[in-house]
Amino acid sequence: MNQPSSSNTARVPHRYFLPLFMRTLLDKMILYTLSKLFSWLIALFLSLPFRQRMSHNNGIAAEGSLRIVDNPEFPPNDFFAPGTVFPLRIRHASASFLDDATSNIRSISIKLSHERFKSPFDIELNTGRYSLFWSVRSFIHFANRRKEAWGVEYVRYVRQYPRGLDGAIDGLRRNPTSYRFMHYFSQTAYKYLDSTGIAHYAKYRVLPFGTDEDSGVDPEPCAWDITSERVLKNETRGRNYLKYEYEDALAKAPAKYRLQIQTRRMCDDDTPDVCNNMILWDETAYPWKDLAVLEVHKILDWEESTLTTFSVNNMPKTLGILPATSIYDGNSLNYMRAHSEIARKARLLSYKVFGMPPQIPDNDNRNVSNWGE
Amino acid sequence: MEENIDHICEECRTKTAIHYTNGDSFFGPRLRTINHLELGYSKVLTNPFTIFLELLYVFYKKIRGAVSRMIAWLFPRRDRLYGTDLDSAVVGRLTFAARHELNTPIHGMKLELWARTRLLRQWRKLSEGYSDNDGTFSLPFEVRSVRNIRMAKRVHLEISEITNVFHSETEPPKPHYTLFHSIPLSKGEFIGMEYTVGAVQLAFWEYRKDAPTPRVVIKDHDEDAPEYYTKGRTDALIQQVIPIELTKLSHLERIDLEKKKMVKDKLTIQAIQKAYPENLTVCIEQRKPGYTRSDAWFGERMMNGMNKGCFVPDAENPSQYWMHYFGICNYAANNEYALPTASVKYALTSKGLPIPIEIHLVGQLDAFNTDPWQSRIFTPENAEDWLAAKRVVRTCGAVSTEIDEHFTGTHINTEQYAIAAFRNLRQNPVAWLLLPHLKEASLINHSADKLIIEGYLPTATALKTEGIKARTRDILGMQDWYDWHPMKPISEAHSYAKAEQLFWEIVGKYVDEFFAEHESAIKQYWYEIAAFSNDLVNHSVPEFMPKGALDGLSGREHALALQRKEYYCALYRFNPDAERVTVNGEIKAISRITTARNFAEALPEDFDRLKSACRYAIMTATFLHTWINEHQYDDLGEILYSCGGLRFGSEKRGVIAPESDLSIAPDLTRSTQMLWFTNLLSRTEYGFITRNEEGDVNPLFIRLLKEKEAEFTALGVDINAIESRTNI
Repeated sequence: MNQPSSSNTARVPHRYFLPLFMRTLLDKMILYTLSKLFSWLIALFLSLPFRQRMSHNNGIAAEGSLRIVDNPEFPPNDFFAPGTVFPLRIRHASASFLDDATSNIRSISIKLSHERFKSPFDIELNTGRYSLFWSVRSFIHFANRRKEAWGVEYVRYVRQYPRGLDGAIDGLRRNPTSYRFMHYFSQTAYKYLDSTGIAHYAKYRVLPFGTDEDSGVDPEPCAWDITSERVLKNETRGRNYLKYEYEDALAKAPAKYRLQIQTRRMCDDDTPDVCNNMILWDETAYPWKDLAVLEVHKILDWEESTLTTFSVNNMPKTLGILPATSIYDGNSLNYMRAHSEIARKARLLSYKVFGMPPQIPDNDNRNVSNWGE
Repeated sequence: MEENIDHICEECRTKTAIHYTNGDSFFGPRLRTINHLELGYSKVLTNPFTIFLELLYVFYKKIRGAVSRMIAWLFPRRDRLYGTDLDSAVVGRLTFAARHELNTPIHGMKLELWARTRLLRQWRKLSEGYSDNDGTFSLPFEVRSVRNIRMAKRVHLEISEITNVFHSETEPPKPHYTLFHSIPLSKGEFIGMEYTVGAVQLAFWEYRKDAPTPRVVIKDHDEDAPEYYTKGRTDALIQQVIPIELTKLSHLERIDLEKKKMVKDKLTIQAIQKAYPENLTVCIEQRKPGYTRSDAWFGERMMNGMNKGCFVPDAENPSQYWMHYFGICNYAANNEYALPTASVKYALTSKGLPIPIEIHLVGQLDAFNTDPWQSRIFTPENAEDWLAAKRVVRTCGAVSTEIDEHFTGTHINTEQYAIAAFRNLRQNPVAWLLLPHLKEASLINHSADKLIIEGYLPTATALKTEGIKARTRDILGMQDWYDWHPMKPISEAHSYAKAEQLFWEIVGKYVDEFFAEHESAIKQYWYEIAAFSNDLVNHSVPEFMPKGALDGLSGREHALALQRKEYYCALYRFNPDAERVTVNGEIKAISRITTARNFAEALPEDFDRLKSACRYAIMTATFLHTWINEHQYDDLGEILYSCGGLRFGSEKRGVIAPESDLSIAPDLTRSTQMLWFTNLLSRTEYGFITRNEEGDVNPLFIRLLKEKEAEFTALGVDINAIESRTNI
């Protein structure tokens, strides 16, 4: 390309729109209101009546331990002291559809305790280096554009937003061999204060231990077919094949993973792109470092799996989420997660009122998102 | 004696010269545009009541225009961008919409993103940019500038094209952008990062698939065309054409009444001739009867008139020359008109003017002997037959000049450069150089299809429409910029060749200086040149009779084909030995300018090749076209002197008959149509280089031309009558 894609015409500064301080204040109010509103809507119209999480209902939990590496190459942090061993509870899940054989975003959620909720550190990771959305504004738009029907969803969204398409291509996994053999990313950046008080950004990822295999990646993704997440025709894998495989594998041997961290020093002149989960950090400048080894050996039953819940608020003060300034800010995603406790509480309340949701049946009702469909 | 006739000729030239007035009257007949002209009855408003209604409509349009201007004043589109945190972008890809070009990107198109405020409806430009070489574009903007509650819901993605380039003495060339396509977007869709409009398919300067030559698609010449005439051009045409249009209409009405036996007095060719403005030959003939039928006049007009013929030295006697006008050849023809292949042998007078000494006619000359290879030779000793033979040559020359050199060599030839240029040249300064000279060619060619190629010529000449189309394809296969050079004068009296040389030098200097001034930008946007070259070559017609094509022919056909090829090479200055590109098995007529997508990869000679191609395109669109166009009225303005075709008549002598035999002359309808055409084409020129009516001619070009005014005047050329483009 030898042509400029945009002109150099001078731009009118912001003062012609709103005074900056007014805008900042308004942005934060909108962010807070939207986050709370969204959380309440989920609580009132999804979690409470239907006993559902907002996503990732189709999952399986397990327990084990996490050991911080002995010779860390990442900036020292008191919480991640070398050689420290934490109790571990994880939950693998598929983001949408109650059918493991659909093309889906897969996840691993990590809790450094054996409790259902209480923990010094939780982190949630999905397949794909980046997501299908990048801010609260885009997330609400994304949620609003789902329009799911029989395994096809987000058609218009993916067509309109190239980065959403990139996220779908990068994150979707079809028929992976096991939850153990996929790469999971936190995608969003978190706060990381090292032992000397220097502030960093941090991203996390989980890889299989002893192999670089990333199972389920579509070698030939198709832009206009990516939104069809339907089970393939003549598919022989069952609705719960991934969970069963995980149970069977753990019965034979513990599952091991590597938790890695990517840190980046905070600077005054950082652009918003740094915290934009759609823009990857250069791995040469900011390499991934081994943080810990996870060893999972005990499967938890459906009820315990369902009751196990994770939160970005479960973090020590030196880690945690980054402040967000507006609904367009990349950090607003974690901000909204942090403000969604009401949805979790509503779901747990619904279990008490209406009982636990049933296990996903092994019938031929494929490509469905909800129980009873 | 000779001084006397020169004086008469000069006086007649002055007398019959075309002048342009601004005359208009309140209740004068009206016509909309050239697109509403018809070979038969054009849509001319003559009823006073209708004219009054038309005036009311014009008044309404003026009011509407005034309101538009007021709206533009109230809601200005200021050239400044709003928003500084460019956290979002509208992206997409521009491609051509034609089904065979869906994957062909449109590069360098100007794109702008506009929004309006809710309250005062003020425009805010959010972003601007250009499509990249692969057609993709990205217009970065600040999402909160759009999502702001003060902004209206709709955002407009506007795609603009260059429709004109304005030049001035003091400022750099200024391209004028016109909105080509607008896509309304909802601001609610803007959520940060990129929003894509996907592949935007534009029906932009599409090549026709149904034409034998590179032509542009024009769906509706008033509403859906790649370009439009300016108001000035339309007004100039209407003012000049209305009187002759009325003359033609009165003749057609009269002929119709005669057919219905409703009038006693018959319309005659003489009456038709008299009804139209006097032309050069009529004027001279009145002052000096017989002179325009003399050998001297014949030779002079063949050399320096509309035909500007090509003189090829005789193989045995190089002081004598041959000139050929190829007739029907193998093209589809009717059996009503004669169109033999005419070859004329000339000797030069002491003044260097050609005198015909031998005429060879090969082909059918009467209705009875249909042998297409029959040959007759005429010499001045044949007296009456010699006069008739010269008339046949003039007629054959008129057909060849009009179809081959005028329509194909300049109109269609210019259009193929115009299409390639408008499709590809935008940011490269070569656009500023070429576009003003290439505009409007496609429009007039579109009208010519209806009026001339499918209208007049098949009824007034020996060739059928399909024959004409096949012939234009063949002749276009002999047009190439590479190695083109002006005609070499064969004598001091060869003023056309001298003028052509002089103009070629001016264009060369103009192009050289322009390239020197804009060299870096031309190299920077070299991709556009590569794309221009690609379109030009890939859509070019095949070379006419390339090497080896004659192998299958035998005998007389082979000899004729060889003769045509050799003569066309001389006539069109076509180098058959140049290296040409083969595309889809066809050896293309036009040479490639460059293959490099950026200048760093270009061959050392590519820059000069581009200059040569530009020089040739400008030469063709200006001087070469103007010469034939403005001389049509001189050489085709007298029905019995020359015409599009002589009918075989009912006698065995066929077309070798005196002018008094009206059975071989064009019939009344064709006669009035012919004079209507020649007046229309010669009298409605607009867009002259030195007059620069629309400010689109580079002042450098004007200055260089004016510097040579005296030399041109000495050659009988009025530089103020040379058009800057082919638009009639």
